[in-house]
Amino acid sequence: MPKYKGWAGKILRVNLSTGNITTEDTEKYKEYIGGMGIGYKVMWDEVPADVGPFDEENKLIFAGGPLTGTGAPCTARTNITSLFPPNPENLVADSHMGGHFSPEMKYAGYDAIIIEGKASHPVWLRIEDDNVSLENASRLWGQGIFDTSADIAGMMGQEAQVAAIGQAGENQANLSTIMTNGNHSAGGHGGIMGAKKLKAIGIIGTGSVQYAADKEDWINLNEHVMSIIGANNQHVVPSTPQPWAEYHDSASRWTAQEGLYWGAADEEVETGVCPPEDTNKIGYRTMKAIKDLGSISEDYTVRMGGCQSCPVRCHSHLEVPELEEYGESRYVANTCMGFWNHYYVNPNYQTEKDGFLTKTLGAQLADNYGLWFNYGQLGRDLKYLYENNILRQVLPGEEYNDIPWDLYEKGDPAFLKDLYRRLAYQKGEISHLTDGAAKLADRWNLGEDYWNNSSVGLWSPMGYPVHHANESNAQVGSLINLIFNRDPMCHSHQNFLGSGLPIKLQKEIAAELWGSKDAIDVPANYTPMNKAKARFAKWSLVRNVLHDSMTVCNWMFPMATSPLKDRNYRGDTTIEAKYFSQATGMKVSEDELDEMGRRILTLHRALTVKQMGTVDMRNKHDQIVDWVYEMDPDKDPFEAGTIKMDREDMKKAKTMLYEELGWDSETGAPTAKTLDELGLSDVKKELASKKLLPSKA
Amino acid sequence: MSKDNEEKQNFMERPTTRREFLKKSVEGAAGAAVSFSVLSLFTDSAQAQGIKLADGIVITDPVKCTGCRRCETNCTAVNDDKAHPYISRIKVARNYNFAKIGPSINYQNGDGQFGDFTIVAETCRQCESPRCVNVCPMDAISADPKTGARVIDQDECVGCGRCVVACPYDVPTVDPEAEKSTKCTLCEGEPACAAGCPTGAIEFIPWKEVEMALVKRERLIENN
Repeated sequence: MPKYKGWAGKILRVNLSTGNITTEDTEKYKEYIGGMGIGYKVMWDEVPADVGPFDEENKLIFAGGPLTGTGAPCTARTNITSLFPPNPENLVADSHMGGHFSPEMKYAGYDAIIIEGKASHPVWLRIEDDNVSLENASRLWGQGIFDTSADIAGMMGQEAQVAAIGQAGENQANLSTIMTNGNHSAGGHGGIMGAKKLKAIGIIGTGSVQYAADKEDWINLNEHVMSIIGANNQHVVPSTPQPWAEYHDSASRWTAQEGLYWGAADEEVETGVCPPEDTNKIGYRTMKAIKDLGSISEDYTVRMGGCQSCPVRCHSHLEVPELEEYGESRYVANTCMGFWNHYYVNPNYQTEKDGFLTKTLGAQLADNYGLWFNYGQLGRDLKYLYENNILRQVLPGEEYNDIPWDLYEKGDPAFLKDLYRRLAYQKGEISHLTDGAAKLADRWNLGEDYWNNSSVGLWSPMGYPVHHANESNAQVGSLINLIFNRDPMCHSHQNFLGSGLPIKLQKEIAAELWGSKDAIDVPANYTPMNKAKARFAKWSLVRNVLHDSMTVCNWMFPMATSPLKDRNYRGDTTIEAKYFSQATGMKVSEDELDEMGRRILTLHRALTVKQMGTVDMRNKHDQIVDWVYEMDPDKDPFEAGTIKMDREDMKKAKTMLYEELGWDSETGAPTAKTLDELGLSDVKKELASKKLLPSKA
Repeated sequence: MSKDNEEKQNFMERPTTRREFLKKSVEGAAGAAVSFSVLSLFTDSAQAQGIKLADGIVITDPVKCTGCRRCETNCTAVNDDKAHPYISRIKVARNYNFAKIGPSINYQNGDGQFGDFTIVAETCRQCESPRCVNVCPMDAISADPKTGARVIDQDECVGCGRCVVACPYDVPTVDPEAEKSTKCTLCEGEPACAAGCPTGAIEFIPWKEVEMALVKRERLIENN
């Protein structure tokens, strides 16, 4: 696509059944931007509704977007689209990883890689610019992700960027990852690579990513972003009082402060005072280890790290000599749930140290096996099933007795060594813990008590847990959690709500963005649904989809706030449109780009309608489990101190969001009119032929 | 093969061995006289040519570097108006995942993201007697009159790659798109890589301080 820059211009298509490797022009997909947008378009066009995730006909799309690899801050996300095995109906979904993989893909000349078919024996895909080949992976099959990555780099050259699966993916665990750089994982799609017998993809790219803008404009825009960027999750105030700061908030991830060190670095590195204007200290702002692993972790922290192009380093890199006692490398890195997942699996630990070892050992094991935990759900499931004696009933006696429950009860980190091996190799009935909650509940006949239990934490009947849902601004977080076919991985709203600014200031900014200060409530002191909340939810969803298409990190963008007092803490929501325009040369306004996001979101919705074979999204798809409406029995919804939701109010909320998105207000399905408006007439035609357009539309 | 190329091919001249060499010299310094300049181990000063010295060099701190590689795309944004890490004059990507020698059987204890997390970025040493200058058949590489950086005249360069082969540090790179060689220009004295580093891990070190800065850096890498 010589007319536009930003995009690499080509898409690589690899058929594992035939061995055919071809390229095609990205131009066909430009209205879908990239990443998630390309993924949905390929799935819509090429994968029939009745295909299963591990079938030969299913496809797997790795995609970057026009921003990926440009060096614009926070633009190294890789979006992976396919049918989603943990979903009870295998509905389409995305998994995402950071790291350095998709930039390398762009430098090799590809916006996306479409994997189709199924190999007859294990293979890996070797990409060196235009030279692409399928290689025998028989020797790699059965290895963990770390060794696989090292072996491929040994064959290709150490500069290779590798995405690989471990044993969990090979054995088609529904909860398994695709992993790059040792600690960046995309959850839920590992088994698809396993089914296709594709162990890994290695890439070396020696080309460039070009942008359309004048050099000065491009550099100025980058500097503008570096000036308003905050800490991880765009938290814009520090966690402790700082000499430069008017406000602070203990929940902030801007943890840098005097006396807080990367304590295991080879020379003294103090995070120190990091005023916003000192852009050479942005990388110290987020000392995430103490957030995820407690103050004990400071002495083990070698440094922070993260993705290509991102100045905010959110991954903690630790040296934990004790891990060698468990037979693992002492060097471990991850962030957030990459550590917390294991706390849920081994919750009974007795000391702070054992808690720390649980999280770090768990991360090391899981990242090598390629296990995924569905945002901590696997561990909460285990606890519920063990404590309610359900495992004793569903597991064969011999298997039950073989599992070291004494270690579990003591909270010994060594329990993870035993359990994760069973899960990764899919050994025994216990391994169905990795089926995903909905399929697990089905297999083991788990009823109301399991689903309607706030400590189990399931939020959707599709089997994903509460994750910035009703706890994040009531209806707004709830609506965002209804639309996708997995947990939404949406932080647009969460970043804003968690900025750390005083509520009064947040409300002022909310009014500027969504028309009324009532778009946000005081936390756990909610008000009924209103139009501004619907706008806020729509904006969050649309930006989330844009970010995963462009690709831009949705843990940092949108930047609605900033740490700068002289901007009155305003951020800049036009950045995405400016970057898109400058990178591609397609001039778009903020509103026009948001419309492109709405197109991609609507295509996702159409895919869900097609796959489910019903227009009744409201009742068949957009559902919340009962505890969300029934928790805190002594409190009513909208009373202070509860995040309880009201059923009638949520019905109204759905209607208002559907209307904002141009979807049928009754069913929540895309209307013919909206599909036409968004240039999705071909989608409309196919839905019409299947009688899947809402009738009144 | 030219004499310089032969020298480059000699394994003893490769930086890995150079590091070993230094370690010995530093360890031995207390007991034995060191009869050569330590600086000569890091920057090529064996054949002084009378070429103007550079004002300094860009050096990275392997402890503070977190591998974001903003320096690479900042380098090519300023110098090439595109994002092109392969030709960046500061080389992070190639040692990001694994040590400079590539993944060994014991990679988990080596440098890099899959090892002990040490990121050993490589930069141009602006050598006193630069081999890149000496081998260029077009005489296209010379000292910038302002900064002394060894710069490649893009009009003269034919992209033959002899400077690439000659450099003991593997810094010059032929841009596969422009078919011209590129190397560190010091950005007229304000290196973009250092200006944009989010952890301040990149410094422009004045020439008179280069020797100790490099010794300290090598010690950090060695002790890791």
